[in-house]
Amino acid sequence: MSSPVADDDLADLVENLPCGYLSLSPDGRVLRINATLAGWLASDATALVGQSIHALLSFGGRIAYETHLAPMLRLQGKVDEIALDLLRSDGGKLPVIANATEKRANDGTHVLTRVTLFKAVERRAFERTLVDARTKAEAAASAEHDDAVLREQFIAVLGHDLRNPLAALDAGVRMIGDRETLSDRGRFLITEMAKSVGRAAQLIDNVLDFARGRLGNGISLTRNAQEPLGPVIEQVVNEIRVASPERRIITSLAIEENVDCDRARIAQLASNLIANAVTHGAPEIAIEVSARTEGGNFILCVSNGGAPIPPAARAQLFQPFFRGAVRRSQQGLGLGLFIVNEIAKAHGGTMEVISSDAITQFVFSMPLTDSRDRSQ
Amino acid sequence: MMFAHGFGCDQHMWTAVARAFEADFRVVLFDHVGAGQSDLGAYDAAKYASLDGYADDVVEIGRALDLSDAVFVGHSVSAMIGGLASVKAPGMFSDLIMVGPSPRYVDDDDYVGGFSHAQVEELLEFLADNHLGWSAAMAPVIMGNPDQPELGAALEQSFCATDPEIARQFARATFFSDNRADLPKITARTLVLQCREDIIAPPCVGEYVHAQVPGSRYTLLDATGHCPNLSAPEQVTAAIRAFV
Repeated sequence: MSSPVADDDLADLVENLPCGYLSLSPDGRVLRINATLAGWLASDATALVGQSIHALLSFGGRIAYETHLAPMLRLQGKVDEIALDLLRSDGGKLPVIANATEKRANDGTHVLTRVTLFKAVERRAFERTLVDARTKAEAAASAEHDDAVLREQFIAVLGHDLRNPLAALDAGVRMIGDRETLSDRGRFLITEMAKSVGRAAQLIDNVLDFARGRLGNGISLTRNAQEPLGPVIEQVVNEIRVASPERRIITSLAIEENVDCDRARIAQLASNLIANAVTHGAPEIAIEVSARTEGGNFILCVSNGGAPIPPAARAQLFQPFFRGAVRRSQQGLGLGLFIVNEIAKAHGGTMEVISSDAITQFVFSMPLTDSRDRSQ
Repeated sequence: MMFAHGFGCDQHMWTAVARAFEADFRVVLFDHVGAGQSDLGAYDAAKYASLDGYADDVVEIGRALDLSDAVFVGHSVSAMIGGLASVKAPGMFSDLIMVGPSPRYVDDDDYVGGFSHAQVEELLEFLADNHLGWSAAMAPVIMGNPDQPELGAALEQSFCATDPEIARQFARATFFSDNRADLPKITARTLVLQCREDIIAPPCVGEYVHAQVPGSRYTLLDATGHCPNLSAPEQVTAAIRAFV
């Protein structure tokens, strides 16, 4: 039992709701439209009654209504938060968000559809900027990725092509050193040249490994579990002793079990770690190289003395192109430790670093057998 | 009897009609790639840039099910997709029922499709502009578990789910299609079902299809809008039953 005053209030409320209200017949004609919505459309409410919903919508909105809204309403009975553009009588568009429900009789017959509409000018503008920003970000990311791939392919090709002239240079230097009569100064220079060629070859190998790793092929391994690993480590140490005779390198090898690994890669790893110790360690403190098998793992430690690695730098050691504070002449590309880490990962192993005032130690640990074999 | 949904919805739009034929036919329902519960990973923008890509899928489904002399019922753009499939795989479909078909939506010289080129562009712009508004309501409901979409389906039934980006490309493929030259090639027994009032496929377009498909029959439904399979399912069911 509502009072006339309350009824009047309710009618007034519907007319002047702070949102648009619309009811539609089952065939999509306007049964009722409130004053708020008619005002938005700059039209007269009575003129709109009986017209098709299409008259109130932009062209895109009409098609969206027919292909999406109407079917969803029939299937679900309601639809929430649908974006539509209303068509004003002056031809302008008004973005709105619509909620709609179907009123159905007890037997399921469609009686009418009720639609509430909310202005969404700001929201649509905001969404537009979001979509634009995403499109731009996607394009930028894609271009950047293409650039990066191209750059890495370039590095790979350049590195590969540099090998041939360098091999010729290496052969020539060796031939002069072995066969030609040289002054003492000439002998000294040719030895230094041979070292430089060796270092250049190592840099190229690092660059190629890096490019391969980045281009998705990863570091490939040729594993062999039978051959002993000890002589490989000893050979690496000897090469460095020859190149840096002033440095003391102490080795302790206890490799008692077979290690299923790529010997050349482990040699590369050991060589990079020991060369690092030579470059960064205090010259008066001996470098210690230990290799052992223990608890199903192969463990290689390389330690040196001298100033510790700052904690901030430790986190980035294994990143490509990371270079510590060293003299300019000693600078490499900063790929050595990155490749060490890639070789460790390829073997299912890990790299750890401990650095204090007393000692800086790099520890490589890997399972003795290929874990992928065991799982099969 | 294979039912194919049109642009904007998924196989659910055929539920009411398909049910009526389950007793007499083996009923096949499917979602086009990008709609409903389809595998969005199977979407290939190049393949689905024209209706041929969708027609190839229909043929693939028909071959997988070993269909011969089947009945194809296609709504809206899928009416034309079915027509193309019937030409690609002769013998697969003996009967073709086209509900609200259009071989070309855009007007061209004397041909009246009902749309202008600018209007289709406006529609595509609308779909792009309302990306978020539509994706919220239409995107497939996957309840935070993309690896197990079936969980999402069990939790909340989502009708007419459409990937917004694919929907936009489907709209482009649909509304810029021109398959008028394919109509005379259709040899299946064809029924054109036309709504009285339909802004997407107006009666003059339905009559054009009827005139171009050799030996076709034409029935005007007392229904409005573009989806009589939802607004007047009993009329659609009766018309199909009278034909097959």
